[in-house]
Amino acid sequence: MSNEFSRRNFLQLGAVTAGALAVGQMLPPAVARAAEAAGMLNSSGDGYVPSMCEMCVWRCGLLARVKDGRVVKLEGNPEHPHSRGHLCVRGQSGLFNTYDPDRVLNPLIRVGKRGEGRFRKASWDEALDYTASRMLQIKETYGPEAMVFSSTHNLSQVQFENLLYAFGSPNYGTQRSLCFNAMIVANMMTYGMEEPERIYDEDLQYIILTGRNLMEAISTSETGELSAAIGRGVKVIYLDPRFTKTAAKATEWLPIKPGTDLAFHLALLHVIIGEGLYNHRFVDSYTVGFDELAAEVEQYTPEWAAPLTEIDADTIRRIAREFAAAAPHALAHNGWRTSNFINSFQTQRAITILNALVGNWNVTMRAAGGEGSSALGSIPQPPYPRISAQRLDHVPARFPVVPLKLGVFQELRDSILTGDPYQAHGWFISRQNPVMSLPDRAKTLQAFEMMDFIVTVDIIANDTAWFSDVILPEASYLERYDPLLPVGDRAYLRQPVIEPQGEAKSALWIYKQLGERLGLGDYFQYEDEEDYINQQLAPLGVTVDDIRSKGYVDLPPGEEIGFEWNTPSGKIELFSDTLARVGFSGVPVWDAPPEPPEGQFYLLTGKVGQATQFGTQNNQMLHKYADEPRLWFNDTVAEDRGLADGDWVEVISEVGKAHIRLRVTPAIRPDCVYLTPGYGHLSKGLTTAFGLGASDSALHVTYTDPISGSQALSQTFVTVRKV
Amino acid sequence: MAHQVNNPRYGFLIDASYCIDCRSCMVACSVENEVPMDSTRIWIKETGITGKYPDLKRFTAPFHCMHCKDPSCVSACTVSALTRSEDGIVNYDQDLCIGCRYCIYACPFGVPNYEWDEPLPLVVKCDMCYARLAEGQQPACAATCPTGAIQFGKYEDMLAEAHRKISEQPDKYVQHVYGEEENGGTATLYISPVPFEELGFPIAGETSPAYSNRLVTEGTPMVAGMMLVGLSGAYLTIKHIKEEAAREREEAEKEKLAQAAVEEN
Repeated sequence: MSNEFSRRNFLQLGAVTAGALAVGQMLPPAVARAAEAAGMLNSSGDGYVPSMCEMCVWRCGLLARVKDGRVVKLEGNPEHPHSRGHLCVRGQSGLFNTYDPDRVLNPLIRVGKRGEGRFRKASWDEALDYTASRMLQIKETYGPEAMVFSSTHNLSQVQFENLLYAFGSPNYGTQRSLCFNAMIVANMMTYGMEEPERIYDEDLQYIILTGRNLMEAISTSETGELSAAIGRGVKVIYLDPRFTKTAAKATEWLPIKPGTDLAFHLALLHVIIGEGLYNHRFVDSYTVGFDELAAEVEQYTPEWAAPLTEIDADTIRRIAREFAAAAPHALAHNGWRTSNFINSFQTQRAITILNALVGNWNVTMRAAGGEGSSALGSIPQPPYPRISAQRLDHVPARFPVVPLKLGVFQELRDSILTGDPYQAHGWFISRQNPVMSLPDRAKTLQAFEMMDFIVTVDIIANDTAWFSDVILPEASYLERYDPLLPVGDRAYLRQPVIEPQGEAKSALWIYKQLGERLGLGDYFQYEDEEDYINQQLAPLGVTVDDIRSKGYVDLPPGEEIGFEWNTPSGKIELFSDTLARVGFSGVPVWDAPPEPPEGQFYLLTGKVGQATQFGTQNNQMLHKYADEPRLWFNDTVAEDRGLADGDWVEVISEVGKAHIRLRVTPAIRPDCVYLTPGYGHLSKGLTTAFGLGASDSALHVTYTDPISGSQALSQTFVTVRKV
Repeated sequence: MAHQVNNPRYGFLIDASYCIDCRSCMVACSVENEVPMDSTRIWIKETGITGKYPDLKRFTAPFHCMHCKDPSCVSACTVSALTRSEDGIVNYDQDLCIGCRYCIYACPFGVPNYEWDEPLPLVVKCDMCYARLAEGQQPACAATCPTGAIQFGKYEDMLAEAHRKISEQPDKYVQHVYGEEENGGTATLYISPVPFEELGFPIAGETSPAYSNRLVTEGTPMVAGMMLVGLSGAYLTIKHIKEEAAREREEAEKEKLAQAAVEEN
């Protein structure tokens, strides 16, 4: 696999496709034919096809420009609320994922040792038969629970779950506990929904962002909305130990001490309640538990919070008053992956409660539905087998308020390594890279060693695929259908823009094929991808061919949700009886985070605009425009230690080591270092990314928030020494 | 022979206060125009992180061809590979380019990029995505910018918008529209919360070097032309000289023919 990429071979982009088409010409070019019939492509195969981006989970609408059977450019679809005509840097680079010369285009079966990267090509029949036989062998010998299934948030996940439930395993790993469990569980406990929608209207006056780095963790529409708000003069308070690109745009950057966001927010609650600045009418009408909350936060004065947060008391008091004065046109953003300490659940609760106290409901926040819609048809499924085995991630036994669909992924490995309560033997992974995503990479690889069989579905030989026994090549998001995605009053279509390259197939096809070979065919009652979508569309009286050229279908308007919440009390729960009944505090309480010992630093993580987690470092266009991954190090501390920009250092945590170059900068607190995440790949099948940067997952220690199950990603402490 | 400099039809208005350094414009441009992987038509200019922890600032702005009203690069190009269209787009024709790099030295903004690694190197620069304009689309960078930092439209509208913004928010913006006067005026206009030199923008004069070149070349065509060729200064406008010379020769030829015709009669 050559890694050379000059203009001359830029022009040859898609040579792989051309080759594939040459072979496939005996078959009708279904994608082009359908697109032409729908009027999207002219007779020479040029035109625009609407679909959905998959470079992150925001899933913007896109228009793919197609020329001679190749995607040559992606545009933001003006008809989609997440893109509004724009695509972010990753979205613009998307065709380089599809045309990555490292794509796996045939099913592969391992021939060398695990991790050696030696595979042989196999036919789909052979690869699927082999995979199914190994899975059945494990099921028959040890029971279905001995198979672990894991997959990261994607549109075909509903059929992945179908496969897992039909197979009968309780062991389901999602990325959510590594990402936003704290936020989601806190919202569920307070509002009875996963995540209220935020409203950036013309009247908005004040925003508090708690580590929400929206200018680098880009969600195209929300980043644009925040940017426009700042342009209008909205005051933005930004808490982050780093001077990020969001900090550079904020009205005030507060370099808060890691792990103390909770203290800051508890002090805001103290001031707002103590000074009577909350919305009395709203609190009386729509919340429960105000008295318990008031009693708890009475102790959390700004003077108490100041030494903890290293933000002075006057600033905290002023921000509380400003926020309340701006309300209801004020928004405390929940953040996303602020689950960086084991107290982050309480931080998230405090933020949700701050919003509720000032009565900004239906002004700057409102109810948001999930990803389903009752207006769409569903695919018939027989009842699933009853599962009696307990889960290896101890949900709900040890994590009673964590929903099963979220799980606590990082806790799985100890059960695998100890064989307690039972031994897992197989791992089915789809569109996920746990070798890079889970903390303590060495432990993940140890857990892999315990497996009799590992199979990975992906478009590329990611690090997990590299250590697998079978790789099933998935079609990229520009080559396949996925189930429809409702957003607002429309359901959007992901449709193939080009034919799948090589032998790549959609996840819907792969799961069905496997299901049939596992004797679970009754659970997959769709002929093919188009039939799947037609079954979804049936209640609306249209077919996929009718919606192809627009890329969406209108849904009947949903009911307006006013002032009601799906909580046990039907109100916003400042005090949560659900939490209290399982032994947690019903109101947010201070929980002191650990601090690094003398001579060590907080290891911070956080996104960069030109990457999505660890899945895009091999994208050559993103690689071209991304900064070199480095370790941020405070300039004053560097001077004291005789370290200079560009020096190579060794970073050592309790569980791992990494070598990386320093970026000496004033843009980080002196007690912190920050490592560009997602690098340090192990797979040599990633010829662009391999050898770049260092792995944060190799350094992260596993710390799990006992309430929400979130991995505490900033609670790892490291030493740094020059090499 | 006064040189007519018309206003461009289209213009960019780039507002540094909105740029988040996401580089979406760079990728959109590179994909749209199949820019070589080791080159680019857009850069991010930046102040770097300034100040002392924790009082820090950082500003950035995308930077590409200014599309001068009177482009120095056009006047420096010996083979008319660079031209200014009637719409005010400074175009580049790679089939005519001989790779002499005079344009690179002539441009006061440091815009034309060069394929240093290629055996037959070409110049790489923004052409305002004229192929997209012809289809009624915005240039790729402006179309995709998630924050609206890059706006595109009629030049007069962009200029008016720039002045509206800086006068409505005098505390936020430096009271200067970069590109309104620089190098004789450009189709790409900038406004910024920090002085432009802090962003690394060149301090360009209000007249284009092309203008002084023409004063010389148009005033004393042959003699000065020969001298200029002899000096072969990078800023000097060989193309104009050649054109002027050709025209003069042509005219002289015509005159001669006319003279001959008269004499014949």
